[in-house]
Amino acid sequence: MNCEELLAYLSDYINDNLDEELVTAAQEHLSTCQNCSIVLDSTQRTIALGKAQQRGQQMSPQRQARLYSQLAAAFEKRSDQS
Amino acid sequence: MDDLITALKRRDPDALSQVFTDHADKIYRLAVSQLHNEQSADGVVQDTFMKLIEHIDGFDGRAQIGTWLYRVAYNECMMRLRGQRPQVDFDSVDETGVMPEILIDWRELPERMVSSSEAMAEVEKAIAELSPALRAVFILRDVEALSVKEAASVLDISPSAVKVRLHRARLLLREKLAGYFSERVNQTK
Repeated sequence: MNCEELLAYLSDYINDNLDEELVTAAQEHLSTCQNCSIVLDSTQRTIALGKAQQRGQQMSPQRQARLYSQLAAAFEKRSDQS
Repeated sequence: MDDLITALKRRDPDALSQVFTDHADKIYRLAVSQLHNEQSADGVVQDTFMKLIEHIDGFDGRAQIGTWLYRVAYNECMMRLRGQRPQVDFDSVDETGVMPEILIDWRELPERMVSSSEAMAEVEKAIAELSPALRAVFILRDVEALSVKEAASVLDISPSAVKVRLHRARLLLREKLAGYFSERVNQTK
């Protein structure tokens, strides 16, 4: 496997979505190619950072409670109609 | 999941509470990432759950509530974005390859630099700078861990388009963050 192929398979490699043969070829390439090893590591860290940052975003409990009470009222109203 | 749909059809308040607890924050995150506005994102969460209440009687047993909610929420976001900027084609995606150019080794960066609040603000900015179509795939797959098939169903695109877009989104984000970290490393030298 060369650098171009490694890059093409990078996301599938990260997602553990490659055949065993390709995984072995990717690992062999990564063990000898510093640049590809950096790209793999930094992409994995990018994903982890993106996930951590986005997961930190939540509705405030007050807004969530207010919204839920509106929805519960609408839900109950529909149960009266049905 | 089938039982939950049945319970919602019975208008069981506990079922509504469970669906809301399981999905409200996820829908909010998708919406706020697309709209960059907390109030608009709240509105999307509200409209999405109102649609669930309106449509629950038509659900069949095979329906996946989570995927259905995401699809409604994503369409609500797109409608709002198109309303704000009708001249922009939010569905267009550049699917050409991204070549990694900045090759500093993050393993050599001090941990406090990688996880600093400044770095996290940079992560938020980098995600915000992705196109809405790439951002949605990144959020659904890498943040919310939906399968390729589920993400394809939410976004109404093919599974292969999900994979291509995710690959591009990840490499674009990596490049932006690599640029930020390389500047920080040079400053500390």
